[in-house]
Amino acid sequence: MADVRPLPCSGVDARIDTSMPLRYFSSDLTPGLKVLLGFLVLFFGAFLLYPLFYVFANAFYTDGTFSLTFFGLLLQNPVQQRSLLNSLELGIAATIVTTLISLPIAHALVRYDFRGKGILSGLLLIPMVMPPFVGAIGMKQMFARFGSINLLLLEIGIIDTPIDWFGGGGFWGVVILEALHLYPIMYLNIAAGLANVDPSLEESARNMGASGFRLFRTVTFPLMLPGYFAGAIIVFIWAFTDLGTPLIFEFREVVAVQIFNMMSDLHENPMGYALVVFVMIVTLALFYLSKKFIGGRRYEMMGRGHVVSASRPATGVEMAVIYAGLLSIVGIALIPHFSVLLTSVSDRWFMTVLPSEYTTAYYGSIFDHELTARAIKNSLILSGLSTLVDIVLGILIAYLLTRRRFPGKDLLDAVTMLPLALPGLVLAFGYVAGFSGTFLDVRIWPVPLLVISYAVRRLPYMVRSAYAGFQQMSVAMEEASMNMGASPFTTLWRITMPLVIANLVAGAILAFSFAMLEVSDSLILATKEDDYPITKAIYALMGRIADGPYMASAMGMLGMVLLACSLLVTGKVLGKKMGELFKV
Amino acid sequence: MVSVTLERISKTFGEVEAVSDVSLEIGKGELFFMLGPSGCGKTTLLRMIAGFYLPTSGRILFGERDITQTPPHKRNTGMVFQNYALWPHMTVRENVAYGLELRKTPVEEQNRRIQEALEMVRMTEYAGRSPNQLSGGQQQRVALARALVINPDVVLLDEPLSNLDAKLRLEMRDEIRRIHDELGTTMIYVTHDQKEALSLADRIAVMGMGEVRQIGDPRTVYTRPSSPFVAHFIGETNFIPGKVAHTGEETVIETAVGPLISSVPPDRPFVPGADVVCCIRPESIDLVSGSAGDEKTNLISASVIQIMYLGEHEQYSVRLKGDTTLKVVHPHPDRRKAEPGQEIWLTFDPSHVVALTPE
Repeated sequence: MADVRPLPCSGVDARIDTSMPLRYFSSDLTPGLKVLLGFLVLFFGAFLLYPLFYVFANAFYTDGTFSLTFFGLLLQNPVQQRSLLNSLELGIAATIVTTLISLPIAHALVRYDFRGKGILSGLLLIPMVMPPFVGAIGMKQMFARFGSINLLLLEIGIIDTPIDWFGGGGFWGVVILEALHLYPIMYLNIAAGLANVDPSLEESARNMGASGFRLFRTVTFPLMLPGYFAGAIIVFIWAFTDLGTPLIFEFREVVAVQIFNMMSDLHENPMGYALVVFVMIVTLALFYLSKKFIGGRRYEMMGRGHVVSASRPATGVEMAVIYAGLLSIVGIALIPHFSVLLTSVSDRWFMTVLPSEYTTAYYGSIFDHELTARAIKNSLILSGLSTLVDIVLGILIAYLLTRRRFPGKDLLDAVTMLPLALPGLVLAFGYVAGFSGTFLDVRIWPVPLLVISYAVRRLPYMVRSAYAGFQQMSVAMEEASMNMGASPFTTLWRITMPLVIANLVAGAILAFSFAMLEVSDSLILATKEDDYPITKAIYALMGRIADGPYMASAMGMLGMVLLACSLLVTGKVLGKKMGELFKV
Repeated sequence: MVSVTLERISKTFGEVEAVSDVSLEIGKGELFFMLGPSGCGKTTLLRMIAGFYLPTSGRILFGERDITQTPPHKRNTGMVFQNYALWPHMTVRENVAYGLELRKTPVEEQNRRIQEALEMVRMTEYAGRSPNQLSGGQQQRVALARALVINPDVVLLDEPLSNLDAKLRLEMRDEIRRIHDELGTTMIYVTHDQKEALSLADRIAVMGMGEVRQIGDPRTVYTRPSSPFVAHFIGETNFIPGKVAHTGEETVIETAVGPLISSVPPDRPFVPGADVVCCIRPESIDLVSGSAGDEKTNLISASVIQIMYLGEHEQYSVRLKGDTTLKVVHPHPDRRKAEPGQEIWLTFDPSHVVALTPE
């Protein structure tokens, strides 16, 4: 007797769990579902696709005719040429440096077991809690021409003339700060890739006689490549489009800063559109390439968790090397944080190795000073609102993706995740340009678009957290509820929500805290001082000669503590799944 | 309590037809079984009755009421899920109370009915526990109480015992029978375990490949299978192929081991020369040491290949002429009839030989 199991979901998207049983109305577009989908189409249409489309249209069409004029102008302009090259170089350099830091970390953490591994891997994530442009403020104090380090070295007499630590007009400063900020994302991705390498594959390679570097090169590396690529793409795009860090280092000939500068005269100078389109094409091309490499493994977090433990106990020597290596990475990565802390508590720090006087007054004054106090309030409100939007949309989308079947499901999935690959700069530019002259014009009232841009950019975190929660929960729990007479809505409210609440909280916290520290959106969209969020206020403070850097640093510390706390909470809730949130 | 009628129900998933053209009538208060191997469509059918799937075609009636398009929460069925699906964030009591709350039952009546339901499944003292603190059997009881407390029109049980160990399964089996007899509710029970079905069912629908292959009470389904599939799926069977030599009161079948006589009237009359298989249950075969009663029909000589001791009986594997092997159950292990290698005679009553058209 042939035992044929009917495949309820054969022929549908294999990335979404195919063992999921079909539900009631599964194959039907009920009116309720149509309304929800219609709402999502409108939302993403207006706030994701329309702005991008608008930018494209303006870059290619002048007076109603298609032309590549702006691209030509772009390539002839020496400043723009240099900016493009600089940005590409920044991206490449940051990716290389990040790789060099992350590969050994990932290898050590995936392949060896040792005491304190948990704590150490937690420590390694700490650098993420501060946006690099804030770190840049502190770094400038320490490594500037007459910063602490040079002064110290001059004093001791090791050098005669100050060293240019940031090399190339700030280029290396930007690279180092970005690499120190981004290596956790890279290492989480590589570690996930390495963990997915079935140890038996390595064992069989060993069995065939391969060992050492050869083994790594021929078996391990190719197998972990998808994970590596995912991380590398994030790092590259990040560095390629970072606006805050180059601004602080006054490394102005990069694409992001150029675009930022062109915002003010978009109508007279449409070059901005062409530049944004260029950025968009580079990122989307990379994203597409990485997808090709990564293939259909996007939801590995939701997939089978059956990877055999790949690690073995470390020997004494190995452990010493691992500890020394990892701790010094953490130490170096925390220099910017430390320097920001030092700046924030120094009363005067000018031409001396360490601050000559200390004070905690700036922590008080950021709550008193009009600009900063308002910025803190604004940030809380803006991030809070955007998190609300994310919670509603995230639950809705994750629910639809896990529990319903409808045409365009793949598309919804892709569109929701698009902001992960889309630089904040591009979206913000699209908002400014696309909504100019409407009631959403950021020059009149930036609040709605700030909220929406935060929401759209952080939505993937929320969707992924919620998705994981829904996926873990047996559908039978919901069916049992409906069977008892509960409507789909009651079921969602009384059964589904309480069971996935931990995931929702984690996603919401992440969305909130990353919104608080959103840089490029804030710099571009917050056009009026009344509406400045924390990050824009920090940037504005940097322009103030006297107490600017000190207050900016105090603000930066505040944001850092906030993000650190929320990451801790999220880590507690999500455990090992944490890393998955940062994957492309 | 209602009767349940399925009218020409089909369900396709993409290309695969999971259920094809099934019609059933389940009487009020009946304990009805749907039995079949995994993938036969029985669970799909049950889920259509619960409302979790919509049939591709056909109608489902509760009594006179057509509920084909009614969403699950408006059907008033009580379902027991294979994995119980108890809500881990609610206590036992809250799990049971849920359906009553949704029905806006007055609190006093709620309390009374919850108490009754928990008593019925003997879980009263666990009311305050969370499902995680219960054993599988206890969870099963709570799931049952939850399904019963709402006074459902029909109780649906989806392989409710499959996750319990053997001993617990027997216990729960008695329990379900007792509860059914006490309440008299219509129950539809899906399982692949023939023992559950045979011991509990009022009637059984044996399913295979999305179709109902036979409906009948347990005794009929076991002793008068309508097809080799049913005979094979329920219990152990010996198959001996042959050709019909003579029809009439008794059917004579010419086989490789000699002529066999069946006195079971076939569903449809055979024509002489038709291919058939004879099904003979191992326990219907008697072992006799000599060919003493020569006059006996269906008397065959065989040699013993192997004897397996199974506690309450022994199972003999014997080889007949033409290399046919049969299984024979001998109910008295202490009175062994032969040893491996020895010759022996088999005999069986014509009323135990069922001739079926091969598939």
